Amino acid sequence: MNNQESQYARSLIEASLDPLVTLNTEGKIMDMNEATARITGKTREALTGSDFFDYFTESQKAREVYQQIFAKGFVKDYPLTIIDGHLTPVLFNGSVYKDDQGNVLGAVIVARDITEQRRIERELIDAKVFAERAAITAEEATAIAELATTIAKEATATAEEAKNKAEYAVKSKQQFLSNMSHEIRTPMNAIIGFTKVVLKTELTAKQKEYLTAIKMSGDALIVLINDILDLAKVDAGKMSFEHTPFKMAASIAAMLHVFEIKILEKNLRFVKEYDARIPEILLGDSVRLHQIILNLVSNAVKFTAKGHITVSVRLLEETPELATIEFSVADTGIGISDSKIDKIFENFQQASSSTARIFGGTGLGLAIVKQLVEHQGGTILVKSKVDVGSTFSFVLTFQKTDIVSELDTEIVELDPQIRNIKVLVVEDMALNQLLMKTLLDDFGFDRDIASNGKIAIEKLQLKSYDIILMDLQMPEMNGFEATEYIRTKLNSKIPIIALTADVTTVDLAKCRAVGMNDYIAKPVDERILYSKIIGLVKKATPPPLHKSIETEMVVITKCTDLNYLLLRTKANPNLMMEMITAYLDQTPTLLQAMRKGYDEKDWEILGATIHKLIPSFSIMGMHANFENMAKKVQEFANNQHQLDDIADMVFQIETVCNQACKELEVEFNNLKNSNHEK
Amino acid sequence: MKNNERIKLFLVDDDAVYLKLLEIDFLQYADFSIETYPTGESCMKNLTHFPDVIILDYHLDGIVKNAMNGLETLRKIKDFNPDIPVIMLSSQDSIEVAINCMHNRAFDYVVKSETAFFRLRKIITTIFHYKKMEKELNWYVDRM
Repeated sequence: MNNQESQYARSLIEASLDPLVTLNTEGKIMDMNEATARITGKTREALTGSDFFDYFTESQKAREVYQQIFAKGFVKDYPLTIIDGHLTPVLFNGSVYKDDQGNVLGAVIVARDITEQRRIERELIDAKVFAERAAITAEEATAIAELATTIAKEATATAEEAKNKAEYAVKSKQQFLSNMSHEIRTPMNAIIGFTKVVLKTELTAKQKEYLTAIKMSGDALIVLINDILDLAKVDAGKMSFEHTPFKMAASIAAMLHVFEIKILEKNLRFVKEYDARIPEILLGDSVRLHQIILNLVSNAVKFTAKGHITVSVRLLEETPELATIEFSVADTGIGISDSKIDKIFENFQQASSSTARIFGGTGLGLAIVKQLVEHQGGTILVKSKVDVGSTFSFVLTFQKTDIVSELDTEIVELDPQIRNIKVLVVEDMALNQLLMKTLLDDFGFDRDIASNGKIAIEKLQLKSYDIILMDLQMPEMNGFEATEYIRTKLNSKIPIIALTADVTTVDLAKCRAVGMNDYIAKPVDERILYSKIIGLVKKATPPPLHKSIETEMVVITKCTDLNYLLLRTKANPNLMMEMITAYLDQTPTLLQAMRKGYDEKDWEILGATIHKLIPSFSIMGMHANFENMAKKVQEFANNQHQLDDIADMVFQIETVCNQACKELEVEFNNLKNSNHEK
Repeated sequence: MKNNERIKLFLVDDDAVYLKLLEIDFLQYADFSIETYPTGESCMKNLTHFPDVIILDYHLDGIVKNAMNGLETLRKIKDFNPDIPVIMLSSQDSIEVAINCMHNRAFDYVVKSETAFFRLRKIITTIFHYKKMEKELNWYVDRM
């Protein structure tokens, strides 16, 4: 090797950035390049001859490298860390070198600085870790998101459930109130109605006093039920207002009329001021307006002992379409203190609990008034001074109209000329049937009773009526179904008034939907009943005259009518014959026993035989007069009074039953013959 | 009650016309097995026919003197077998009669009117509903 070549080799070695060391067999450094000096931070001189292993953090490992090289002849990518200023990680590659004879002289080792590689590796790992973490975070985020979704879903479900629950609660509350209303009103109807009926009879002063007390309590209870129902309707958002034309002046006058006697009785002065500029006919809800004024005036009357009550109605503003009217009710009563005045419109509040004891009332009146006014877009104000009086005023805006009011709600006075009105009462409760009978008899109307819709329809097909009073809740066929049937199947326009104890708006809408003309709330107010019947009958076209004559003719010529049997047996001739046979077998015996009982004054026998006769009258279609007569005889016989009146009635019953037997014998033979012909 | 077995009704009334009408009504309504008796005595004699329900008139002693009245018959039926449901019928709409009937363990009380049959029908449905519930209850009680 010439000098130039070795110079060249040397310069290559020196140029290498990787440390390059030659060791002798003892592990002492023989030679090195510049990079080695730089990396170890020592001079070449210091390094030469020094122990190779001293320059590494793990000298044992370094020794192993050295041993490995000499054992195997080479080493590849052996990692070690050089002790220098900053512990440089390196990978060793080395191999032994030999002389020409093959004797090992030493080893050449190249250490590759892997700081950068390590850094990159570390960064890569960091990046990987970071990425992994990110992935985990993402996963976690997804999980959280999923959890959130689940929670959100649950929340939605909960909310929905809550909403359903709330809706159900409202519904069941409505249902409950509707039921309660019915359950309470029905017996109240009977209580108040019969009390009224009894009050018309001859009574001692004491009896009259007690009955009046019963009636007043009943009326109070009805007011309470109505109040609660009204508030419940407001709560349920069910309060709806009519937009029908009505005569404001007449309507208010009629309503205030109710108070005149009460105010006179208390020796108060009643001042009414009505602004003549108010348009005659307006669109609105006259019933609700009544309710508001009624509540305010009755409060005024209740809390005023002396002085006057002023009701004034003023036109505030008028546009071509609208009229804004202020209503005010002022009294000279006990007044309301400033501390209480804010509370009087709350539910169950009276100015003081002691007022409730003295003056009665539910404390719901003003709450309802406020709701009624505000739901119609109005405002209500109160001014009051203790011991001086109170003024309640509210402002409502009404639409103007040219339409002439169709519904005259003014109470019609009893008109003696209107008689002969034939009313069909459809009602299942015996007590209510009796009550309606009593009322209609008082009016002088003809009436028939049907216990359910089905029977009503049967009756309608047999006889013509002017008007139907229809209970809604009945067995077999209810009022809605019956009305629908009458309107669609019978094609009849006969006026139908619903009798309802259930005045929730739901039902009223249903009444109209099936084609009822009007409704009356139970307990029935006889004046309203009368005016509604007259109003509707007048409006309806009169029924053809000849038809009623025909029915009367039938009544005159024959005392029996097999229509009922036809219906019950579904016109089965054999069943009809069986029924007639039973009647013909039984009746003569009963008549004999009755005659015997009467002649021998055996009232027990008389009562018992008459009792047995009673059901057969209606079965054989005989006039109800005879059945009623029989019932009277039975009553007299059982109580053994008015025995003088019995004679004629027993004779009449005998006569009609004998006639019935003759007629039925003929019918029986007719049936038999027609049966044979078939 | 097995489903395939017909419901056996006893109708007891001395008013032959009403009895017939009721029988016709029931037969038209469903496939009942009906036995009619004009007196309480004849009803008692035939209790061995095992009626499912008895419909009994309150006034059975009307014409025939010393005949058993409805209440007596009701008591005797209940002595014979307290489990036979008895529905009382009367043309009297009186609370007193109703209370008398209920005190003597009648299942219900119906006034003879246009709706009597519908009411009876409803009551009979109720009776079988109760019977079914009782049966179920017994089934559970037996297993407890």
